[in-house]
Amino acid sequence: MPTFTETAKATKKKRDIKLVGIDMYIITDKGIPKFDDIGPFKCEFISNRGTKVWPGFVSPDLLQVNWYRCRFMATKDVQDADVNTFLDALTKKGWWWSAAQKLWNYDGEAGFSKAY
Amino acid sequence: MGKQHVVTMLPGEGTGPEICEAVRLVIDASGVDIKWEYEDIGLDCLEKYGTLLPDKTIQNIAKNKVALKGPTTTPIGTGHKSANVTLRKVFDLYANVRPAKLIPVLKRPWDKIDIINFRENTEDSYAAIEHMVSDEVAQCLKVITWPGSYRIADFAFKWAKDNGRKKVWCVHKANIMKMTDGLFLDAFREVAKKYPDIESGDIIVDNCCMQLVRNPAQFDCLVLPNLYGDILTDLCAGLVGGLGFAPGANVGDGCAIFEAVHGSAPKYAGMKKVNPSAVLVSGIMMLRWLGEEAAAARIEKAMFAVLDERKHVTYDVGGTAKTDEYAQAIVDKMHAKA
Repeated sequence: MPTFTETAKATKKKRDIKLVGIDMYIITDKGIPKFDDIGPFKCEFISNRGTKVWPGFVSPDLLQVNWYRCRFMATKDVQDADVNTFLDALTKKGWWWSAAQKLWNYDGEAGFSKAY
Repeated sequence: MGKQHVVTMLPGEGTGPEICEAVRLVIDASGVDIKWEYEDIGLDCLEKYGTLLPDKTIQNIAKNKVALKGPTTTPIGTGHKSANVTLRKVFDLYANVRPAKLIPVLKRPWDKIDIINFRENTEDSYAAIEHMVSDEVAQCLKVITWPGSYRIADFAFKWAKDNGRKKVWCVHKANIMKMTDGLFLDAFREVAKKYPDIESGDIIVDNCCMQLVRNPAQFDCLVLPNLYGDILTDLCAGLVGGLGFAPGANVGDGCAIFEAVHGSAPKYAGMKKVNPSAVLVSGIMMLRWLGEEAAAARIEKAMFAVLDERKHVTYDVGGTAKTDEYAQAIVDKMHAKA
């Protein structure tokens, strides 16, 4: 008789995974970053502490820290190698970043949250 | 009459509109001069505006800087962001103030509960940073920042000082989450040094839950990160009689929104059946925030008297009165005492 763990592992469903973007976590004391397109990646929004600070309305009272989540979405089909090129370009432009999170669609559905 | 206040009224959906009308009836009869400006929020906005929180509503709140909000419902598992969470983020309403005080007429097993919860309202695992990092693993980032932690602690200590409270507790899980909850606790301790007249302490969140159920009278003010605050504020509401009497305020440096924390009970919409007390006590909090202590005290006293008599109370507290009949009884009680 299978254990609960074995049964749980057996329930895994195969899903189609497609790379569609990158969340970059940028550290800067110079305010909200501004980006040109980098290769096939275009900045879609920037959030700070989970609140969208670009584009659109930002309360002047909003507390912002020096850590920004910058969402770059692919404008065409991309591969993992394109992410490496993107990271290299971003670093060469002088951006200091703490982490990168690839954004995938699973069976066509976004596997990542939107920003408030 | 004194100064006129302009307040945004957000009736919400479901039973929200009938509740808010009852509350407005009571507040307007208290002698305070309020100009109400009605704006839309919630599920009913989806068809009309394509969003739960229209820009027009945001602009009106930004202008008035104070709002009274009825209940709204957040759709589960759809792509729509919660209107409540969006409001908190747009206006940076970082302090969720949730008092839990025994109402004499509601029989509870404790002699005294008088707790003020100060829930950090904008970060923690509510920062909306979630990813499916593989096809079988999801992660949610818990974001705790020094300034975010410092200001909620500062807000709580200042409130405690201004309101004659004795002790502020920091509720955390820093023994396990040493970086995130550790930072929250460090900021709390730093702030505590500024308030030598207020006693401070800290308690692990699971122990705090047990202590709240066993002996809630030992607690005065609690400062909590967002997730623990979400859970413990409802626990405290349950201790004193449930969400039907639980007031809430979301306060930032430039704006405050007062709201009930219960749902919109759509199945009762239009039946004038539900108890409007939670929005009413939130309105009382709002009046105090506006500096209208006399009107707040007048409503509070009349509400307690009506509850005590049990002649004109709603079904949830053993009566048969409609929402507006309960409100009218409070108004009559205020006028009778005048």
